[in-house]
Amino acid sequence: MRAQAAVPLGRGRFTELALLIWVATIAITGFVAVLATETASFRPTAVVVPLVFLALMLSLHVFLVGIRFRGDQILLPIAAGLTAIGLVLVQRLASDLLLQQLSWSIIAAGAFAATIVVPRDLTALARYKWTWALLGVLLLIAPLLPVIGREINGARIWIKVGPGSIEPWEAVKILLVIFFAAYLEEYREVLSHAQRRIGPFPVPPVPYLVPIVAMWVIAMLVMVFEKDMGATVLFFGIFLAMLFLATGEAFYAIIGLVLLVLGGIVAYQLFGHVQARVDTWLRPFDEDLRFGTGYQLIQGLYALANGGLIGVGLGNGMPDRIPIVWSDFVFDAFAEEAGLAGAIALLALYLVFLYRGMLIALRAPTMFLQLLAAGLSFIVALQTLVIVGGNLRLIPLTGITLPFVAYGGSSLVTNWMLVGILMRVSQISDRMRGGGPS
Amino acid sequence: MTSPISANIRALTLTLALAFLVTSIGAAYWTVLASDQLANDPFNPRLIAATNDRPRGAIVDRNGAPIATSEKTDSGFARSYKDRTLAQVVGYASAKFGLSGIEAAYADSLIGQDPADPVSIWKARYLGDRAPAGQVVLGIDLKIQKAAADALGGRKGAIVALDPRTGAILASVSVPAYDANQVVDPPKQDAAFDQLSHDPNHALLNRAAQGLYPPGSIFKVVTGAAALENGLDPTKKLRVDDPYQADKSWGDYFVRSASHAHGLFDMSDGFRLSENIYFAQVGLQIGGAKLTDYAKRFGIGSTPNLDLPAAKGQLSDSGSIDRPTLLADTSYGQGELLVSPLQMALIYATIANGGVMPTAHYATEVRDAEGHVVRQIAPGPQGQVISPATAKTLTTMLVGAVSGQGGFAFGAKIPGVNVAGKTGTAENRPGEAPHGWFVGFAPAENPAVVVAVIVENTPDGGVTAAPLGAAVMRAALGK
Repeated sequence: MRAQAAVPLGRGRFTELALLIWVATIAITGFVAVLATETASFRPTAVVVPLVFLALMLSLHVFLVGIRFRGDQILLPIAAGLTAIGLVLVQRLASDLLLQQLSWSIIAAGAFAATIVVPRDLTALARYKWTWALLGVLLLIAPLLPVIGREINGARIWIKVGPGSIEPWEAVKILLVIFFAAYLEEYREVLSHAQRRIGPFPVPPVPYLVPIVAMWVIAMLVMVFEKDMGATVLFFGIFLAMLFLATGEAFYAIIGLVLLVLGGIVAYQLFGHVQARVDTWLRPFDEDLRFGTGYQLIQGLYALANGGLIGVGLGNGMPDRIPIVWSDFVFDAFAEEAGLAGAIALLALYLVFLYRGMLIALRAPTMFLQLLAAGLSFIVALQTLVIVGGNLRLIPLTGITLPFVAYGGSSLVTNWMLVGILMRVSQISDRMRGGGPS
Repeated sequence: MTSPISANIRALTLTLALAFLVTSIGAAYWTVLASDQLANDPFNPRLIAATNDRPRGAIVDRNGAPIATSEKTDSGFARSYKDRTLAQVVGYASAKFGLSGIEAAYADSLIGQDPADPVSIWKARYLGDRAPAGQVVLGIDLKIQKAAADALGGRKGAIVALDPRTGAILASVSVPAYDANQVVDPPKQDAAFDQLSHDPNHALLNRAAQGLYPPGSIFKVVTGAAALENGLDPTKKLRVDDPYQADKSWGDYFVRSASHAHGLFDMSDGFRLSENIYFAQVGLQIGGAKLTDYAKRFGIGSTPNLDLPAAKGQLSDSGSIDRPTLLADTSYGQGELLVSPLQMALIYATIANGGVMPTAHYATEVRDAEGHVVRQIAPGPQGQVISPATAKTLTTMLVGAVSGQGGFAFGAKIPGVNVAGKTGTAENRPGEAPHGWFVGFAPAENPAVVVAVIVENTPDGGVTAAPLGAAVMRAALGK
């Protein structure tokens, strides 16, 4: 505590503030550009929304300065910038959903602020790992329950809350990372060193592997029943990445990927919805798919093609021809109007986010915090790669949302909480060293 | 700080960064590399959007008469199609079902972004400043088109007429046709399109270029050309005795003569009286390899260069002629041959044009809104297929087939004009009436029009088709 007092009291978060000005520029120019090309009559929400959002971000900044928060200053502006792009795109693509998305960003900001102060001791999370595992499983099963579960667009991954519905697996992904981080910290040694080898293949001590495999099997089974490929891939990815992070054993990752491909082939044979997704990916232009399941993807590709190098300009394209564009295809919509340049800039934002998150992980003082930060950063990167890859027809399309940008409340709230946790971890490393990145 | 897992974190970060790189390359592929092809895909709504909020360019005939126009309505601009007989050629521009026909092939030109005008494309794309739509001018002459449509009447089939010197298509009829106005009319479009896509008669098919039929006797010019260029003396008489088989190995297989002929035939007689047995013997003399070579040179089995979709047909199921009976049958136009009316028109255009095959095309010009020509569509010839001497000999014999003593194609005669042509009665599946063909050109000494006529399932075959060809040629020549 004495050491901390040596730091000047008035030390502000100037990097963060400067970057938030850049966010303000994006938000304001974006809304102005969309308004300028809109043919419908002027609505006051279009002016109110960016101002409310900017005030919200500024208040988060003031809040952090006020509690003398001394962690990372880059993540908040990136998350704010991406959320701003998301709001601009909702205004552009589905303006009747704009107020709803703004409400969600207010809730997300509240959740972020809460995460910054609760719990007081982040490492305490590790103590309750079995609680998180149980809670995660319950949340996963919830959509299958009769009264509260809901099926939307063929996937049973929603639960009814009041007038709306939320996707519980969005929260599960964070719980899963916390559980894996705590468990792997405890048993890392046995898993990575005390193992026998048969030829080049490491044979892990089975009893220690059972809990994480069980956790993963439950997740997979539930996903099969809930018919959501995206979440399945994401959970599998988290599982493999955490195992690799803890053990450094690339073998786990390779055998995992082989299992994923085999599982995919089995699922292709067994499940109609998987088969439809894969067929649509492989041959969307075929006569029988073109106006059916391939329609959405083809419309997305048309949007990309119209984008060219620098895009047609916000409001000038026709991305609204893509069905459900605001949640599934925001990347293609953005690429049509901002071009390849904009698309790469957007991807670069996620890459910087990943870089910052991993840097925090590298600097974290305990292995639990390292695994936690790396796992959470990995989620954002993987989610981005899976949905953008789907939009670009590099891999089959899944219903995963583009973090911060795509329309959707559950995703926005959990991703902001994820940012909060990452910043908490960075503050702990900062405190330990009495200084830090600024 | 070094931790046991620092290296793992770095390795994972690097892997993800590489995945981001691959993703960026994917984005570059779709936005830049594959962009042109997708931008011009006939189903891309961006090509059609121009129809709704601003006029789409008109499609006009060679004299400027409108065939498709955009007309202002309460809710924007609507497409109006003037000539039902050109339905499959002109196609439709539907916001829901995409584009077809000329509307698809010249989609960019019709929204003022012709490929020959990169500045307009650039301005439309980056400045949102779209040039007013121009016009696409077709080679179609509505006067000849009407003559062809009237001649065919309600009978299923197709007529295509073209200028052998340029390859410009003058008339193109395919029956049954449909009303494209229904396909672009929002209240009616769903029912209309559903009915069309399940139509047992395939009204959407452009039979002139996409319909495939056995050619029958009209194919004999190919056998004749191959024989003439391989040293066969056309004046040498061959013995014809119906029924014919080359040797006993054919078993109970015979080539039949349409007129149950017995006698001596030279090539001129063979064309005039359409003698199958004469051409079967000629084919057997020159051999399958040479006949295959000439059929390929004339474009059988390959898709003709055309600005609309076209069928490629076939010489035989296997692509080659591997047995004597198939060689004999192919030589007089049966066997396993399949051709489109356009392919036959192009073969006769080659003969009319001194042995040089023209390239067929429906559109001849793209004009901008002020009427200036943006692009001339004049594809050069395909090349010399047969020698001018062979072409001349065949022309003489085809004139004989129309106006010689007992010529089978007498129905194609036009007073005061030398018509060269050939009828065909193409045998069909057992139990179905044969298809009637006529292909010919006029005037024989300086051909200005080639016409190919097919009437599906008509008992009298070529006799039915020949006068239809004459009617079209008369309209084209103003006689």
